[in-house]
Amino acid sequence: MSTLRLAGSLAAVVLGLGLCGGELLAQTPVDAQPAAPADYSAARLYNSANAYARSGNTALAVLAYERARVLAPTDPDLRSNLRRVRESAGLPAGSGSWLQEYGRFASPNTLYWIGIAGLVLGGVCLLARRRHARFRGALLAGAVIGFAAVGASAFNAAATFSVLSESISLRQAPASVSPVAGADPLFQVPAAATVRVLDRHGGFELIRDSQGREGWVAASDLAPLIPDAADRT
Amino acid sequence: MKPYALRALIAVVVSLLLGGMTIAAAAGTALQSIEPSTISLGGSAQLSITSIGSDMPAITPPMVPGLEFLAVGQSQQVQIINGVTSSKSTVTYQVIPQQAGVFSIPSALPGAEPVVLTVTRGSGSVPGGSAQGGSVQGGSVQGGQAQPSSSLPAESTRQGASGAAFVRLRLAKHELYVGEMVPVDIQVGARDGMVASLNGPPALNGDAFTLSKLPENPSRSEEVIDGKPFIVFTWHTALVAVKPGTLTLTMDTPLTVRVRTPGRPDAGFFSGSGFEDLFNDPAFQNFFGTSTQRDVTVSSAPETFTVLELPAEGRPADFSGAVGKFSVSSDLSQDKAGEGDPITLRMHVSGEGDFERVSSSMLHDVDGWKTYTPIVNFKPDDEIGYRGEKIFEQPVISIQAGKRTVPEVTFSWFDPTTRRYEQAHTEPLTVAITPAPAGSSVAGGATAATSPTADLAGNEAVPTWRPDHPDNGGGRTSSLMPHYFQPAFMTVPPLVVIALSTVWFWMRRGERSAERARVEPYMMPPSVESLAGELGEYAAARNAQSFFGAARKALCGMLALKWGVTPPEVTTDEVVSRLGSDSEITRAFMLADEAAYSTLKLTPADFQRWQRIVLRNVDSEMPS
Repeated sequence: MSTLRLAGSLAAVVLGLGLCGGELLAQTPVDAQPAAPADYSAARLYNSANAYARSGNTALAVLAYERARVLAPTDPDLRSNLRRVRESAGLPAGSGSWLQEYGRFASPNTLYWIGIAGLVLGGVCLLARRRHARFRGALLAGAVIGFAAVGASAFNAAATFSVLSESISLRQAPASVSPVAGADPLFQVPAAATVRVLDRHGGFELIRDSQGREGWVAASDLAPLIPDAADRT
Repeated sequence: MKPYALRALIAVVVSLLLGGMTIAAAAGTALQSIEPSTISLGGSAQLSITSIGSDMPAITPPMVPGLEFLAVGQSQQVQIINGVTSSKSTVTYQVIPQQAGVFSIPSALPGAEPVVLTVTRGSGSVPGGSAQGGSVQGGSVQGGQAQPSSSLPAESTRQGASGAAFVRLRLAKHELYVGEMVPVDIQVGARDGMVASLNGPPALNGDAFTLSKLPENPSRSEEVIDGKPFIVFTWHTALVAVKPGTLTLTMDTPLTVRVRTPGRPDAGFFSGSGFEDLFNDPAFQNFFGTSTQRDVTVSSAPETFTVLELPAEGRPADFSGAVGKFSVSSDLSQDKAGEGDPITLRMHVSGEGDFERVSSSMLHDVDGWKTYTPIVNFKPDDEIGYRGEKIFEQPVISIQAGKRTVPEVTFSWFDPTTRRYEQAHTEPLTVAITPAPAGSSVAGGATAATSPTADLAGNEAVPTWRPDHPDNGGGRTSSLMPHYFQPAFMTVPPLVVIALSTVWFWMRRGERSAERARVEPYMMPPSVESLAGELGEYAAARNAQSFFGAARKALCGMLALKWGVTPPEVTTDEVVSRLGSDSEITRAFMLADEAAYSTLKLTPADFQRWQRIVLRNVDSEMPS
């Protein structure tokens, strides 16, 4: 019994440390930009996007909507307005693959902590199951629930991973054959289009659009979906 | 030819040319023509400005946003007929468009008519079919100092591009609320003759504000700053802050300026001679190719704003984000209707503010009424849509006959002047509903079910714009990067796994210790001496059952300790599988089984031999 207590205490300490660490991390601006202090919320981004959309700035509206969708992927208002802005810009209303469509079913940060809690729950249940034969069924159910939470979190992480490399084109821009000024253009990337950044070179980024076409676009014409992702990917 | 002689010759020629122009333009008429009048983007047209008379005034190239003018030459014809001298001077510009549209080129000389240039995109038509952004209609330049076009206070002017141009903002206030619309004048000043073209409208720098759509036709005036003439283009528009904080705003304008080239005769022969001003004149530089063109971006001086967040206190439930000063009224399309006939309920929201944020869903789920999605119309009272009236027209159908009352409609907004939320209620309106004819499908309340989001044709309504969300300050995060991919957060799952593994390892170790403690009593073997005594005693009594029982117990303890199992687990089968059937210990186990379950008769020599075997094995395997 003391072993179980110890396991529980240890798990609580680890989870507590993780939560405290998470809170501390959340209070520490990761991307120190004095002009624009990092302070995001889904409501604020959504309201900004609405303002951009009202003023006709489709590209910034889509960018703000997509950023809000990172924090609140299931918000029906957000999805409705984003679809409307995309359609008004002549862009496909949907974005992304099956994984992105179904994997982003909840806030990734919430699911992260649910996954951690599930890992702790599953592990503790498995450990306790060695000692308490009478509750083997309940503990097995607890372990299944815990690892299901881990699976859901992992699924969401896989679906969210793609946003790290996504950018929004701020204006119509030519995609060229090489990353130099004056290179032959291959096609035009419309404003507000969501593209995937595959590589970077100088002031250019190699992008792939929704039709699978690839070309080099000036980095100044693109805005990353995750502002600090460019330095990390 | 000597250098000074060449300079003198140039000076004389220039003097003659300018003098001739001045003489020619003293009187007479002016003509302006463009050929061709329709070109494709990428092509060019030729603008000819002709002065017929005896004098030619100084001409500065026209300035039209979206068009670039390059002086290509001039000609002068002098005729003397019957002693009467007439002069005809023509200045020619090459016009290069930078965007498609219909451009009105103002008259460069008094009396000349403006000309229109149509620029198509390739072989297609002009987008919109009318003047595009950047074109200047009317084109007449007003003389004298520019008068402020509004009551907005003037701001400091910061010139860019070496004094060739400036961008400045004129706005009334610097403290505003998120969503509040503030009128602003954006002025771009271009030094006469030094700016070749404006290459686009002014653009916001940063994402803290949004700008209403810029008017297609900026107003144009002249202004003298520090003794230098500027042509000032003014866009009247409005600014909306989209996030709170202390924010800085600048505006950028791309333009092409003419830059003097090196080698200009600004010293030496002409220094201090009066010709220096002549050579420094932009018109001279433009004419004689002593300047090159360069694309630059001119920025306005930074304007700092304090943007306040809308207060959470007192926020009405139906607040949809409207910020400004509004008044609300309502009316009905008719005061009599038949049962089942649609009536239009109109709500008028008028005032000033960002009307894009003015929204209302009007009536919902009202007993006895069938309501539909309202249609919205906006009638601006000014160019930028800051003042106006938004009308919500909602079709409603009474499903009961009699004198009916259409309930009041509420509308809420935030007034930045009073700094609080306001809510207006319209007056309830009455309407007389006559019963439907017998047999009608609407008679008797057959359509009692309401369908708030269906349109009158029964189709699915077009999705309406979803309103802003209240930002109560919750759910803030310092980074959009999901926790999964932040290095610090990525360490948490491994930490949990390590902790759980440590617990598992510790538990496993404890279990093994407990197991060992449980079986250890079995494993405490008798000493070899006592075992020898015991076996000798049973051998003397020729009791094979007890003899092999004692031998088996001793061997079991020895093997259990050796194999790390409990003594009960040391069965004959286990011994056979581990040691083989030919082993002495195996045979001892078999004899023990035989003695236990049958009558085994051994000779004294056999007892002695097995006693030796057992003692030898126990003695050799037991830990000292």
